[in-house]
Amino acid sequence: MLGFSRTNQSRADFEALVSPWLDGLYAAALRLTRNERNAEDLVQDTVMRAWRFFEKFEKGTNFRAWLFKILTNTFINSYRRNTREKSLQDESERQSVEAQFFSPDTTEQAANPEEYLLDRVMREDVLKAIDGLPIDFRMVVILADLQEFSYKEIAEVLDIPVGTVMSRLFRGRKALQKTLVDAERQGCAAQAAEAIDLNAWRERKKLG
Amino acid sequence: MNCRELKTAQTPYLDGELIAEARQDVEAHLATCPACAKRVEIERHNLTVIKQASQDGSPKAPQTLRSRVFDSVRQDDTRRRRVRAIKLSAAAAGLTLAVVAANHQYRAFQRSLFERDAALRHARQFPLEIQKPHAQDIERWFGGKLDYPVNVPRFVNATAAGARLLQVRDKPAAYIRYDAPRPMGLFVYGDDHEVDVGAEPAVGSSNGFNVVSWRNGDVVYQLVTDLEEQDIRELLPPPPGATTPVLDVRPAALQR
Repeated sequence: MLGFSRTNQSRADFEALVSPWLDGLYAAALRLTRNERNAEDLVQDTVMRAWRFFEKFEKGTNFRAWLFKILTNTFINSYRRNTREKSLQDESERQSVEAQFFSPDTTEQAANPEEYLLDRVMREDVLKAIDGLPIDFRMVVILADLQEFSYKEIAEVLDIPVGTVMSRLFRGRKALQKTLVDAERQGCAAQAAEAIDLNAWRERKKLG
Repeated sequence: MNCRELKTAQTPYLDGELIAEARQDVEAHLATCPACAKRVEIERHNLTVIKQASQDGSPKAPQTLRSRVFDSVRQDDTRRRRVRAIKLSAAAAGLTLAVVAANHQYRAFQRSLFERDAALRHARQFPLEIQKPHAQDIERWFGGKLDYPVNVPRFVNATAAGARLLQVRDKPAAYIRYDAPRPMGLFVYGDDHEVDVGAEPAVGSSNGFNVVSWRNGDVVYQLVTDLEEQDIRELLPPPPGATTPVLDVRPAALQR
């Protein structure tokens, strides 16, 4: 009977610990899977896994980091297998992808004449830009900018050195800003084009 | 700190990850370098915009997901508790069974000790203290000698040679010997359920004898005989609870 009351207690503990982070888990899962249905499944799997391993969780340590570690591991282990996304484990492959994504031109442009992003940048555009990042950079950006984990926590969650966290974050953010700046420019161009079209239409109308 | 070093420190600086000393170095440089200050300002602004937009743009976990997740946990918890309870009760049942079996074995062993002792004493043919064939005479002789009344079973067809006081293990016992039609010895002793036997006669064997044991309340009867077990079984149909089992000790072939 003692054992029973202890499991009751442990389930209540678990729910109380998980509940505040469920929104964060879902938000991160959405950016990882880029799909609501898969995000829900990922969160469900993550919480069940956390529950099964709850006894192994060391009380007093960082529960949120522990949860997100389970989330990213679950994602890497099961969800990526089902997507076309390739793992960047292979170093040469990683380098080629990075070279492609972060061409010297890109880095130069991003690093040199910085531009202010518009304050009213569309939320959807930012999320879409994050979704477009290669997975290794995306995970770091999600954890740092969406979830505001510290470098040390991110290193713990992803099992990578803090230096790697920093460099991935730097480059991920640069790529993100470039995408957004480009989008804004295109947006302006499109608006300008529309304006020209409108003028042309007025001209035509006047002529007609 | 120069401009190149500042570029490296810029990201951790903006993320608040620099130790106080490094942070002061960065700020000292920014105070004197407008180009770096401008770049850091833009970076800080963009970082804020991106963080804000991504956080504000992220939907909360749907209520359905929230309840689904915790329902699963609850179900799993219930299932695990049930499995644990089953395991626990299975273990308890196993333990009970083991205890029952061990106790049963122990008690059977205990009874065999009494059977053996009775058989050995019967075999030694101790001299009788009273040589009278009638049960009443024998009962009268035992009167007061033991803590319990000795009721001598009236066996049909069996003739007593006499009786004496003996022991079965540490228990004072009445011993009645029969010579006809087959030599038999009957021990009667008080026992507070140390010997595992009930009203139903149980047949054991020791030292070449068969020993039939039964109990009437706090008194145990043990009949030591060289009759075959099968014969004894056929000879012994005493109804459970019968105070004086009636034994037809004739060989089976002579009965009916």
